Amino acid sequence: MANDKMKERIIELLSAALPLVDLDSDFLFSELDSLGVTTILMILSEEYGIVLDAKDATPRNLKNIDAILRMVEGKLKR
Amino acid sequence: MLLLDSIARFARQKPDNPAIITATEMLTYSDLHHRVCERADRLKAEGLREGQPYSFPATQDADFIVTYLAVHLCRAFYPLHTTGTTGASKSVIISDEAWTANAENLIDRFGFTPDLLFIICGPLGHLGSLSKIHPTLMTGGTLYIMDSLKDLNAFFKPFKDPPHPSLKGRESFSRFASFLVPSSIRMLLQFAREELAAVAHRIAFIETGAAPIAQHDMELLCEVLPHSRLFNTYASTETGIVCSYEFSRYGCRPGVVGKPMKHSSVRIGEDGRVICAGTTLMMGYVDNPEATACVLVDGEVHTADLGFIDDDGMLHLLGRDDDIINTGGYKVNPIEVEDAVSACPLVRDCICVPDPHPVLGTAPKLLYVPAPDCEVKPRAIAEFLKARLESYKIPLFYESVEAIRRTFNGKPDRKAYKVKG
Repeated sequence: MANDKMKERIIELLSAALPLVDLDSDFLFSELDSLGVTTILMILSEEYGIVLDAKDATPRNLKNIDAILRMVEGKLKR
Repeated sequence: MLLLDSIARFARQKPDNPAIITATEMLTYSDLHHRVCERADRLKAEGLREGQPYSFPATQDADFIVTYLAVHLCRAFYPLHTTGTTGASKSVIISDEAWTANAENLIDRFGFTPDLLFIICGPLGHLGSLSKIHPTLMTGGTLYIMDSLKDLNAFFKPFKDPPHPSLKGRESFSRFASFLVPSSIRMLLQFAREELAAVAHRIAFIETGAAPIAQHDMELLCEVLPHSRLFNTYASTETGIVCSYEFSRYGCRPGVVGKPMKHSSVRIGEDGRVICAGTTLMMGYVDNPEATACVLVDGEVHTADLGFIDDDGMLHLLGRDDDIINTGGYKVNPIEVEDAVSACPLVRDCICVPDPHPVLGTAPKLLYVPAPDCEVKPRAIAEFLKARLESYKIPLFYESVEAIRRTFNGKPDRKAYKVKG
């Protein structure tokens, strides 16, 4: 449940910041440019108080919304 | 054609030295020279004539550079596209002499050497990246072409590994340099500071430009790269590379772009605008003598930049005297955006204005009045514009409003929406 809410919130934040990006895509990373990647890192860092850096901005972590959700959850657990 | 003569010379003297490296290939100077000559022969056979502009897609790879150099060898021109000085999209012709002058300006001020690996992560079709081909190859150095800075980790790959598998076992590069727009610097400082610090001793110089850089970012970069030379450069497609300021040496002062370089001079017009002279200036706009005559007057380019020159001869920039939105170094004409939006059935009225952005500095924002009885999602407007505008021109921010403020004569009141500071 909490994860569904977090996923909804992530979609809401990223939709507002990246209106051109298809967040439903399973190839999200390929849709992003450098600004898109950085925007995602910045928004998630601020929203969840986590530290994200270049090492986190991998095609695997940004593959789709579910992957992004797992990355955030992993950071929060730490 | 100093650049091409230099490539030919290195092809004879150092044929196996790397000239261009990308993710998928490496061209030695011998390879490069051979391919450029072959390409030039083909272009001539296809009808390319001396003095003719020749446009082709600016792909981010070695093949673009090969064709670009071949066009030069044919004594034709590769026109650069710009919104820049005049506000409307145009194509600019830059002479071989101007390209050489640009290169000599850069070599003289920054120190390009044969052992330098110059990392290009911006679009090759823009002056910021394209202008670095000349000084790097004229001095026998190596160009490392990245797709973009989307993968920040990729920026550090050439520092860790041999930049190309065929270079394994050879002495690694000792000096690295790059041109990074301020937003790219911010991205690296925010998300890859440790990695940057780890390679600091190998970075000879970093040049920035195309947009204002914040004092905080300059200071942080100096802290992370204490031994590198850091420059803030003033340039445009129309003026070429004109001034540069070594903020790592002389202090982090926002808006200061330093003294004119070897082949350039600047003065301030009566209206406070920067006027540039020298051998780096454009020849003119393709098929647009009227626009050329507005900007290129008596051998000087009249820019839209406001500035002043201090007692030390340093140029200070104060912003633009027009409505062009500088978004991360790209120039966006809001009228072009508004014209594109006007065809969208979802929107009755709109204005495109600059809005602060934490990475880009400024980004275009669209204030829109929805069409009657329409529930408009920004995504729908952005999708509509995607088919009509280059991606950097599509507004990042959207706000639905009840009305657009207009002046007494009905024009959008841009001053009322201008970002302060």
